[in-house]
Amino acid sequence: MRRVLRLPLVLMFMSVALMAQLALSALCQSVPRRTGDLVWAIHYDPKTFDPAKVDEQASELVRYLTGGVLLRINRQTQQLEPQLAESFQISRDGTLIVFHLRKGLRFSDGSALTSADVAWSLRRVLAPETGSVVAEEFLAPQQVTVDAPDALTVRVHLPKRITEVGKIFDEIAIEPANRPSEGRITSGPFTVADYKRGQYLLLNRNPNYWRRDSAGVQLPYASGIRLDILNNNEQEIAAFLRGEYDLVDSLSPDSFGILMQKSPQSAHDLGASLNTEQLWFNQSAVAALPDYERAWFQNQGFRVAVSETIHRADLARIAYDGHATPAYDYISPANKIWHNDKLKYSQESVSDANRLLSASGFHRSGNQLYDAAGHAVKFSILTNAGNPARQKIATLLQQDLAAIGMQVTIVTLDFPALIERLMHKQDYEACLLGLSNVEIDPSAMMNTWLSSSPNHQWNPSEKTPATEWEAEIDRQMLLQASSPAQNIRKAAVDRVQQIVADQQPFIYLVYPNVLEAASPQLRGVQPAILSPRLAWNIESIHPREGGAR
Amino acid sequence: MKRVYSILLAVLLVAAAATLLWSRYDYAYQDRDAILTPSTAQHAAGTDELGRDRMVRVAAALVIGFAGSAAAAAVTIMIAAGFGLLAAFSSKTLAAILLFVSDVFLSVPWLFLLMMARSLLPLTASPLVTAVTTFLVLAALGWPACSRAIYRGAVELRNAEWMIHAHACGLMTRQRICLQLVPHLRPLLLPQFLICVPAFVVAEANLGALGLGVGEPMPSWGAMLLELDNSALLARSHWVYLPIALLVLVLLLLESFTSEMETHA
Repeated sequence: MRRVLRLPLVLMFMSVALMAQLALSALCQSVPRRTGDLVWAIHYDPKTFDPAKVDEQASELVRYLTGGVLLRINRQTQQLEPQLAESFQISRDGTLIVFHLRKGLRFSDGSALTSADVAWSLRRVLAPETGSVVAEEFLAPQQVTVDAPDALTVRVHLPKRITEVGKIFDEIAIEPANRPSEGRITSGPFTVADYKRGQYLLLNRNPNYWRRDSAGVQLPYASGIRLDILNNNEQEIAAFLRGEYDLVDSLSPDSFGILMQKSPQSAHDLGASLNTEQLWFNQSAVAALPDYERAWFQNQGFRVAVSETIHRADLARIAYDGHATPAYDYISPANKIWHNDKLKYSQESVSDANRLLSASGFHRSGNQLYDAAGHAVKFSILTNAGNPARQKIATLLQQDLAAIGMQVTIVTLDFPALIERLMHKQDYEACLLGLSNVEIDPSAMMNTWLSSSPNHQWNPSEKTPATEWEAEIDRQMLLQASSPAQNIRKAAVDRVQQIVADQQPFIYLVYPNVLEAASPQLRGVQPAILSPRLAWNIESIHPREGGAR
Repeated sequence: MKRVYSILLAVLLVAAAATLLWSRYDYAYQDRDAILTPSTAQHAAGTDELGRDRMVRVAAALVIGFAGSAAAAAVTIMIAAGFGLLAAFSSKTLAAILLFVSDVFLSVPWLFLLMMARSLLPLTASPLVTAVTTFLVLAALGWPACSRAIYRGAVELRNAEWMIHAHACGLMTRQRICLQLVPHLRPLLLPQFLICVPAFVVAEANLGALGLGVGEPMPSWGAMLLELDNSALLARSHWVYLPIALLVLVLLLLESFTSEMETHA
């Protein structure tokens, strides 16, 4: 009897699960679409609507959509453009920035936007009690002063030069002085209208937004935006295909494949992103590794041989379904300004790798590689669970490295356990992870390349550089961070790229491509590789025509 | 019917073993020019996302899963029998303590225990070691559920008239257990063993699906079932369903076989 009852019980359980799924799905779509709105999904609730306190992606998007800024980085040209500031000048010594505001600026509630509002907003960001992440980019925010000599001029005094200082103002939203409103009163294209935690965020058009198109029509074209909170890629794609969503940001290669089959005109592969996937070996002197293993990992020949054995094109084709670009450098070719086009790197060649290993004292016996002391070359590659592409890369590396006699085991750990081993215990041999780069300026990567940094992953927090080439990287990175001349900065960054290609402390594997989807019924969408990739020109996107659903 | 189920199970296992022995591909070999292919002359059940022969991998998962589960079930039954018999033939106080220990063990969150056990393994542990560890931990955690049933059966047998007669005739406790008790317990132990086998097959599949089971590139049910989570993959190859279909078939056969055994008993 007990066994007879099992099947109905299982069926009942499945039915309940199915009904719950349908109910959840229905709940997510319970808000009717307003005519003239743009609709898409974000995966998490924004932590804050206060533009000065933004520290994660969802809040950053809301700030971008609602906050008016002095300067904006054009996500396509990667150049700064004036916004609320009609123009700006930086003094010769780089310590004074003068902004000239446009005339007639107004907040969404109709009140005038003057230099007093700008100065107040900047001071609020700089104040330690605000706890703004952006303030850290001023290096010494307490020493920065702001004044407003007249209604249209704002002066920012810096204690010393900051390279690429203009881009910081892309992240500072101008709010009405002494009236912080958490996005309700804004100088950007939209304002926060309604928010239901875990369900949706509604934004309304700012009727006093300063921008107009070439025909004199006031922007934005859309009357509002609805952002559904939905952390389910499958449901997101299904809603997009049903026409309920207009945009899908950051598609996985699998989802992109589905869209290419069902709606090819809406899927966009923008090519290499700024992000990298890389493998590195633990070279730390304090790591709990046998000395002979540390010696392998500190051996340049060993690292270069590994790099030469990896079939990066296979990784891109198989792990990313062709939607990734083989990587040999830490700066992606998508970074048009800083990528080194003349970089020399070793080509893929198993025979060259074998020669290099022989020259480094390794020898083969059958299918196994041994070091000079007779230790079999076996190591583990650590990676995080829950990233199918990365796990596929690890398995592909296993076969690639077997070709030169290296025996690799793959260990997948949940992210906190992985970080604990990497950052605190340094208890690992090799690691496969990705790095997300949101900024194009190489100064943003100082924490990775300076040997004293805790994020200098292959050998963190060195008291003094362990090798001459790491010391040279330190020198070049500091030079590029302090030099006012663009050509000197570029030469320094190029030099670092070449050292990294020669030494392979990080073995770069692929740049995952930027995969996006936009409804073909929208006009004006210009996908870019910098975030927010689809919404960067939000005010110029025409919503689909037709009534509410 | 019992014979039919056992023959079908045997046929499946022999076919899996034959596939492994005579296939031209190793279960780990990646044919990178044949990613997610449909059924071809080279790959009868197509290939997976890394170009590995799906038939060979499913066969290996079947053999590893079944052999590992059977071995783990045997270990579990031995531990449970030892524990149950010790409790049945001990003083009331000791029996109560032993049963309390068994109950405490039963309430331990085994998933966390398994995660801890896996994290204690060195990172360089080979896939074979991870497989053996997985099944050993399953065996070590599975016995409390059986020990209660075995204890109850042993107590009934201990109080049986023929056991009292054997005791009166001067047989030692060890002799009574070996000569009288164990042969009579066999009808209880065998179904318990047969119940454990599918339970461990499913447990290993669940652990594999959580990334805690057998390490890559060794195939396991769980790792292959993870593919079903990817709707894009389901649309591209129907062979993705092969592992789940075979797993359901194996479980049905094992369950039916166990049921028949219980009926006969």
